[in-house]
Amino acid sequence: MAIGVKVVARPSGIAQDMYVSAVVKGLGVTMRHFFENLFGKKHIVTVQYPEERAVYPKRYRGLHRLMTRDDGSVRCVACMCCPTACPAHCITIVAEETGNGAEKRPAIFEIDELRCVVCGLCVEACPCDAIRMDTGIHAPPVEHRGDAVLGKLDLLAHTGKSEAHQGGLGGEWRGAPPVRTG
Amino acid sequence: MTPPETQLPAAPATVTLTIDGRQVTVQKGTNVLEAARAQGTDISYFCYHPGLSSPAVCRQCLVEVAGQPKLVPSCYTPVADNMVVITASERVLTARRQMLEFTLVNHPVDCPICDKAGECTLQKLYMEWDGHPSRSDVNKVHKPKVVDLGPTIVLDAERCILCTRCIRVCDEVAHQHQLTMAFRGDHEILTTAPGQVLDNPYSLNTVDVCPVGALTSKDFRFKMRAWELYTVPSVCPGCATGCNVEIHHAQGQAWRLVPRPNPDINKFWMCDEGRLTYKELTRDRVVGARLGDDPAPLEKAINYAAERIEQVRQEGGTVAVVLGAQATNEDLYLAARVAIDVLSARVFIAGRPAVPDRVDEILRSADVNPNSAGAKIFGRAAAGGIPELERALQNGELSLVWAIGEDLPLSEEAFAALDDIEMIVQASHEDELTAGADVVLPAAMWAEVDGTFTNVQGLVQRIRRALDAPGGAKPHWELTAAIARRLGVSVDEPNVRALFNEMKSKVPEMAGAEWGRPQPLVQLRFANSRG
Ligand code: SF4
Ligand code: SF4
Ligand code: SF4
Ligand code: SF4
Ligand code: FES
Repeated sequence: MAIGVKVVARPSGIAQDMYVSAVVKGLGVTMRHFFENLFGKKHIVTVQYPEERAVYPKRYRGLHRLMTRDDGSVRCVACMCCPTACPAHCITIVAEETGNGAEKRPAIFEIDELRCVVCGLCVEACPCDAIRMDTGIHAPPVEHRGDAVLGKLDLLAHTGKSEAHQGGLGGEWRGAPPVRTG
Repeated sequence: MTPPETQLPAAPATVTLTIDGRQVTVQKGTNVLEAARAQGTDISYFCYHPGLSSPAVCRQCLVEVAGQPKLVPSCYTPVADNMVVITASERVLTARRQMLEFTLVNHPVDCPICDKAGECTLQKLYMEWDGHPSRSDVNKVHKPKVVDLGPTIVLDAERCILCTRCIRVCDEVAHQHQLTMAFRGDHEILTTAPGQVLDNPYSLNTVDVCPVGALTSKDFRFKMRAWELYTVPSVCPGCATGCNVEIHHAQGQAWRLVPRPNPDINKFWMCDEGRLTYKELTRDRVVGARLGDDPAPLEKAINYAAERIEQVRQEGGTVAVVLGAQATNEDLYLAARVAIDVLSARVFIAGRPAVPDRVDEILRSADVNPNSAGAKIFGRAAAGGIPELERALQNGELSLVWAIGEDLPLSEEAFAALDDIEMIVQASHEDELTAGADVVLPAAMWAEVDGTFTNVQGLVQRIRRALDAPGGAKPHWELTAAIARRLGVSVDEPNVRALFNEMKSKVPEMAGAEWGRPQPLVQLRFANSRG
């Protein structure tokens, strides 16, 4: 089957050929915005950083942080759930033995914040509430890619806005009747 | 008493029974669990293992048998004619669910730090048909964690579900009673038998059979999560037995070897030493070609090797080709073809020195090379061994030695004699020999190539490439082919498969060999529980 071709008439005429009217029209738009902004500041979206700061939405996540136990040691047990869940493959963990009751902890814990797509799946995957994305810290500009890779100590040093109690509900859930499924 | 003269051949004893409304015919003596599996119905179980006896201690495999008032453990019940088995009635499932809950009463459920997570039978069954929180109101019974059982294994007594599989592996496979149960009731724990440590040469099989994460291998512990690993079927290079293994690898590196069942060779097991052979893959590897001590491009080193061989031949000297028993059949077939048919070289067979202490009646052979049988076949009758090579070297009969593999356990005098002649070696590891050789060519190892090994029984088994060879290392046959082409020998096999086919058609001993199907790369994330 042949493809139907719709012929569109080309606009023609002397005004069209000379472009003058189009140039004037375009300049008109530019000048209108120029004067509006000069006197009215109606359309300016630029924020005068650092004097002014953009208002972030309430649920803005920001950089990751690693949580600590009461004794200050890292809460993460290097279970590898977060690197498994991470769609951007930006979390690198190497585990080691702790030699105490906790048994396992990360020797290396790195997140490449440039690769991170800020999906929060790592936080959801964590069975230990060890990783959170609630610092509200905007990823700082870096000169080299490597500078955006945050290590264990960087992540532990981040303090966040959330101070929610860690450790789940404790024994309280036992008060509720057991939910039986399946 | 003399047997009757005309004995009728025993009728193949089979039994026909009905499982979940479908008829299945199996051999007499099979248990109901295996019969159901043969018919395609999986029954959950913990303590049963096809390679071990059935003590029926876990009761996770209960089924209903028509006419029997109580549920019976399917792992322990032999099939009988006209038996009617129901594996999935409400009664059966409730019983199994309750057994599972019972097993979990004191279980710590520390899956995040448990090495078995991702391949744990308990985890799998819980996810499959339990999935509710604990109903127990009292504190769990705590038991010792991180207990050192021996040089290879750590026990977490809390996670142990007391299935006794590990005890049976020690008793029935290694024939050493090293593990036992102690105390009773919910204080029962697994422990080493009095005066024993868990140090038998098959100890790591207990980690494989443990259905939970109670036993963990010190070598593998915390290195990798099971679900991150990819598995490739291969053969253990540790000795001439050729146990079938899976190479578990990730991030371009092998992390562990586990046995792959093969009823003709290793059943379900392998020895601890064999398991650790993967460490050889990263030890002192030869990663680039060398001329003497100077790194050289591979091309140049191959050209130089070919020139030297050619020169020795023109001067009427004797070339010796050493077939190393660590190389594959294809490597050795090609090397022998070039050596015997073209160069008329003298052929010797070498390999790692035998370790007589290793031998047992179970799996381990004294010969610690995976392909000695293959080397013997390809070296043909004329091939000498290490003593002949030593004699020839000391008598100054050889002008050039071309070795496929660096394992040449020579006496000191013979080794010194090597200094005076030309030495070309296709090597995987740096050692004394490569340090003194004139040409060193980097060779890939068993986990980095496709090919076959011939085991001590003469079975030709396929090995598969799981990893990339480090640096510029190439399979032995490619290096050999490159040298041979420069000597004017036509080697037109484009790949190792073609070489295998040619070998199969030319060498009568290889006539029955099979290359096998291509294996899709499986990630353990999708491979279900092991153990
Ligand atoms: S937020 Fe998403 S992309 Fe970023 S580290 Fe977590 S899982 Fe990965
Ligand atoms: S999921 Fe949580 S506990 Fe597991 S490795 Fe990530 S941060 Fe650590
Ligand atoms: S044995 Fe299985 S269920 Fe128990 S902690 Fe380990 S992975 Fe979890
Ligand atoms: S350690 Fe593992 S194999 Fe041994 S009895 Fe306990 S659960 Fe079974
Ligand atoms: S598997 Fe049958 S009782 Fe344990």
